[in-house]
Amino acid sequence: MTIVITALQYLGYVLIFPGFLFCFLAGMLLCGIDRKLVAKMQKRVGPPILQPFYDFFKLCGKETIIPASASKTTFLMAPLVGLAALVVIQLFIPVFSFSAFSGMADVIVILYLLLIPAMSIILGGAASGSPYAGVGLSREMVTIISCELPLVLVLLAVAKTVGSAMGTGLCFSLSDIAAYQAMNGSLITKLSMIPAAVAMLLIIPGETGNHPFDAAEAETEICEGLLAEYSGAPLGVFKLSHAIKMLTLTSLFVALFLGGLGTGIVALDGIILFLLCVVLTAVSISFVHAITARLKIEQIFKFYWTLVTGLALISLVLAWYGL
Amino acid sequence: MFKKLIQESMGKSPWLFHINAGSCNGCDIELVSVLTPRYDAERLGFKLAGSPRHADIVVVTGPVTKQSLPRVLRAISQVPEPRCIVTMGSCPQSGNVFRGSYSVAGPLSKYVHVDVDVAGCAPKPEAVIDGLALATQILKEKRGQMK
Repeated sequence: MTIVITALQYLGYVLIFPGFLFCFLAGMLLCGIDRKLVAKMQKRVGPPILQPFYDFFKLCGKETIIPASASKTTFLMAPLVGLAALVVIQLFIPVFSFSAFSGMADVIVILYLLLIPAMSIILGGAASGSPYAGVGLSREMVTIISCELPLVLVLLAVAKTVGSAMGTGLCFSLSDIAAYQAMNGSLITKLSMIPAAVAMLLIIPGETGNHPFDAAEAETEICEGLLAEYSGAPLGVFKLSHAIKMLTLTSLFVALFLGGLGTGIVALDGIILFLLCVVLTAVSISFVHAITARLKIEQIFKFYWTLVTGLALISLVLAWYGL
Repeated sequence: MFKKLIQESMGKSPWLFHINAGSCNGCDIELVSVLTPRYDAERLGFKLAGSPRHADIVVVTGPVTKQSLPRVLRAISQVPEPRCIVTMGSCPQSGNVFRGSYSVAGPLSKYVHVDVDVAGCAPKPEAVIDGLALATQILKEKRGQMK
């Protein structure tokens, strides 16, 4: 009997609250708010906030064309794999004190899982056999490599700060990080963590492939790159993955730096988490989108491996000396 | 219910793909001006797509020259159903001042079914938005007839 209840509980986690349904609604809303904010910053009226939902359902109703040169199975399965990986990440990220799954080293699990959506879009693009996808593919790989180094350094800095306070060396458990912040206040209030938080804010648009760092999907020069051959429902799933990725990365930021703001009631915490994600999206995605033009791929690489990595390193060194 | 949701969404999120079939660039500039802050077609859900596979509405400008005709037809055939074809300016509709030239193969309606014609040289942005809104209604009807 208890096994059935536990199984149902986990099914609820996967399908409803931190899982699929929450990701779908919150991610799409976040994407809509982002588009509206960018429009407001450019003095436009902008699309309705529900626009990403309309886009998704419209794409579900379109014909799906599979190019003759494509590898059919990979082409159709790639979007689903990416979406599944993102929902799994969301299960590992704690909503303040509540976490659906937790383990000894979920930071490392998240680090690996974050690569899967990017890999799935690369695989899908490569399977489509389009030359535009080929160009997009190489750019997407460079973007991932650029973002990965500063992201690892940020995670290490947080792990060292929490670990040395708890006396365990490095702490790679997000639920322990959440518990530490619930006791000692948010990590962003520590002086040594501010450069890491700024670095993480700059990593978010790079990881999601948002505006100044969207060389891989440049629609005006390489026909949306990796997505050039996608149409209909698979394209809709990729758009959904992009929206959920925004939610995933902003809620990872909340888990790492803004923990300890929860109330203990799970439903209320979910709403607080979503509102914080909206604020973070406005700062790190919409604002940056509205004021910048698209960077070239080598400029993206240089930006991440000098400025952002430098910020993350400062935090890591300060954390190592226990500041 | 799901079918109705899709049909409603079809009228609220039309993505455009723009083909230049030998245009003088006047209409192309007017089309871009529709997306600027002054006219802001994005409030109706319009978006300029980079690939014909993502598009719902194909906007053709220019008198359809002999060189561009096979490319235009090939690009249009890559747009997934349901799709709408809108001609912009007088050129693809009648040939305009290029009518009778040895290099012009138009009008476009000789080769494909055209849903909406927006006349003018170049048409005003208001006229373009009006034509695109009409095309969106046709798109919704086409979706209703599918399956």
